[in-house]
Amino acid sequence: MQIIISNSSKEPIYEQITNQIKSSILAGDLCKGTALPSIRKLAKELQVSVITTKRAYEELEKEGFIYSIVGKGSFIAEQNLEMMREKKLKVIEEQLMAAITNSREMDLPFEELQQLLNILYEE
Amino acid sequence: MLNLIRRDYILLKWQILIFIPFVLFFIFFGDHLDPAFIFLIASFYISFSTYTYDEKAETNRLLNSLPYTRKEIIASRYLGGMVHMIVAIAFTSALLFIFNKPYTVTDIAISSALFLVFASLFFPLFYVIKKGFFTPVVIISFLVISFIGPPIASFFANHVTAVTNFINNLSVPALYSGSVLVSMFIYAVSWGISVIIYERKAF
Amino acid sequence: MENVVELKGVTKNFKGFSVENMNLEVKQGYITGFIGENGAGKSTTLKMIMNLLRPDAGEVNIFGMDYKQHEKEIKQRIGFVYDSNVFFEGLNVKDIKRIVAPAYKQWDDALFYRYVEQFELPLNKAIKTFSKGMQMKVSLAIALSHHAEFIIMDEPTAGLDPIFRRELLHLLQEIMEDGQRTIFFSTHITTDLDRIADYIALIQKGNLLFNHSIHEIEENYTLVKGSLDLLDRDTEQAFVHVHRTSTGFEALAKNVQNVEHTFGNDVVMERASLEDIMYYFKGGMQHA
Repeated sequence: MQIIISNSSKEPIYEQITNQIKSSILAGDLCKGTALPSIRKLAKELQVSVITTKRAYEELEKEGFIYSIVGKGSFIAEQNLEMMREKKLKVIEEQLMAAITNSREMDLPFEELQQLLNILYEE
Repeated sequence: MLNLIRRDYILLKWQILIFIPFVLFFIFFGDHLDPAFIFLIASFYISFSTYTYDEKAETNRLLNSLPYTRKEIIASRYLGGMVHMIVAIAFTSALLFIFNKPYTVTDIAISSALFLVFASLFFPLFYVIKKGFFTPVVIISFLVISFIGPPIASFFANHVTAVTNFINNLSVPALYSGSVLVSMFIYAVSWGISVIIYERKAF
Repeated sequence: MENVVELKGVTKNFKGFSVENMNLEVKQGYITGFIGENGAGKSTTLKMIMNLLRPDAGEVNIFGMDYKQHEKEIKQRIGFVYDSNVFFEGLNVKDIKRIVAPAYKQWDDALFYRYVEQFELPLNKAIKTFSKGMQMKVSLAIALSHHAEFIIMDEPTAGLDPIFRRELLHLLQEIMEDGQRTIFFSTHITTDLDRIADYIALIQKGNLLFNHSIHEIEENYTLVKGSLDLLDRDTEQAFVHVHRTSTGFEALAKNVQNVEHTFGNDVVMERASLEDIMYYFKGGMQHA
C-alpha cells in the first residue's frame, strides 16, 4: 500500500490518507479481506500522530470501506463497485453543473467551455 | 534503600582509594593526635564526600524521580552515615593495628559519639543551606566549634557543678555507653528534623 | 478513555508567578505535547506531576493514584528525561546503570544494552564528556529500560541538532507502537509536535489555555487575512487577537465556521501552525 503525505497540502493529513486508501480500493489494488497495517504501525511509517491514522480508519469504517475486528485489526470490506461508480459519477455531475452555472453567469459559450474541458482533460 | 547506601560506594570508588593514604597521613604525621580524632576524621570522610558530590550534581532531582520516597532518601543518609562510620572505623583500626599504633575501645566510643553529634548538626544543614555554601559552612562551623567548644564545656563544668558531679560519679563504662546512647538519641532527633525539612523541599 | 495524569484544581504560588487552578488530563496511549513560552509554567507543572514540587492546593493523580500513598508504585511506572543532566557527571554509563537499575523492579538489562548499542553510547567514559544529545540519549535509554508506561520529558529536544531531533521523534513513535505507552513532553519548539503529537496542551502565564486533539486545533483555529475595512467592533469578536499593519490585518480565529459566516470569501484563510496559535494567544493576553 502506497501513501504519500504532503505537509503543505491544504487537505488535512487524515483526509489524504482516507482518499489514497479509497483510490487504491477503487483501482483494485486493495481487495476484499486485505489486512491494513495497525493504526500505530501506520502512524509510525507515515510519521504522523496516532490520532491522525485513527481518525482516517474511523472515517473509512464509517463509509464502509473497511471493517475492524477488536484484537485483530482492520480489513478491506467487500465493495459494491457499481454503486461506488455511480456515487462518483453523481459527484462529477454536480461539479460539472457548478461549472456550467458559472459559465452561464459570464455568458461563456458552450464551445469555449468544451474547449477548456478538452485542454484540461488532456493535461 | 540499601541501593542508596551502596550507591555511595559506587560514587566514591576513586575517593575510597584516596581514603587509605588520607588516613595514613594522620596516622604518621599526627603523632600527637588522639586516635579518637583519627577515627572521627575517617568517619567523616565518606559521609561528607557523598554530600559534597550530591551538592554538585542534581542528585536530589534524580533520587526523587526514582521510585524512592523522601523518607527513604533521608533514611539512607542516616543509616548510611552509620554504615560509613563503621566501615571507616574498621579500616582505621586495621591500619592502626598494621602500623602498630596503640588505640583503645574507648577511642572508638568517643569518636563514634562525636561523629554522631557532629553529623546530627551537619546533615540537616545540608538540606537548608543553599547550593555551594555547604562545604564552607561546615568547615567554618567545625573550626568555630573546635575553638569555642572546649571553653564553653569547661565553663559549664565549673559553673554547673550538679552536672559535673553527676558525670564524675558515673563509672567509666557507664559514662561511655551513656554518651553513645545520648549521641544516638541526638542522631535520631536530627534524622526526624531532616525528614521534616526534606519533605517540604522542591527540586 | 483512561487518563494517565489528572490534575484537578492544582495551584502553586511563587513570588511573582503562580500556576492557578490547573485542570489537566493526559490520555493513555497518546503523545501529548505541552507547549508554552519559557517561564509559562511548563517545568513547574512537570515537577508537580513528578512530585518534585507539591502543589499548594488541588489534586495530582497519576495512573489514578496519589503520591501520598503510592509514590513508589507510581514512579516504578514512570520514565523521565530532563532538560539537563541529572546523573552523576563523573561516572560512566555502566556505573550510572548500576546505581539506577536496582531501583526498578522491572529493569531489563538486555533491553538497556540494546538501546546503548542503538544510541552508540560509550559505556566506560564519564558522561560529563558527552555532548548534550548524548546525555539525552543516556536519560532516554534509562527511561526506556524499565518498561515504563508513562514517559515524561522536559524539553527533550532543546539543544539538539535537527538530525538527532528527527531521530528522537522517530524513536518516540517506535516506542508508542505497542499502544501501552503514554508520552507527555514539554517543548517550545513546536515544529517537533506538528506531526507526532496527538494532543496539545498550551500553557501561558501559569494558566492552561487548552488541551485539544490536533484535529480539534486544525478544525477550529485558522489564520485569517484581509483588508482593514472589514474590521469593526462586531467582526473582531471572532478573533483571539488581531494584528494590524498598513496593508491589512492578520488574525487568529477560534471558530472557522464563524469566520466563514461573517466574512465569506472576502478574507483568506490559512491553516494556523502551533507557533501562530502561541503567538496570537500571547498578543491577545497583552491586550486583554
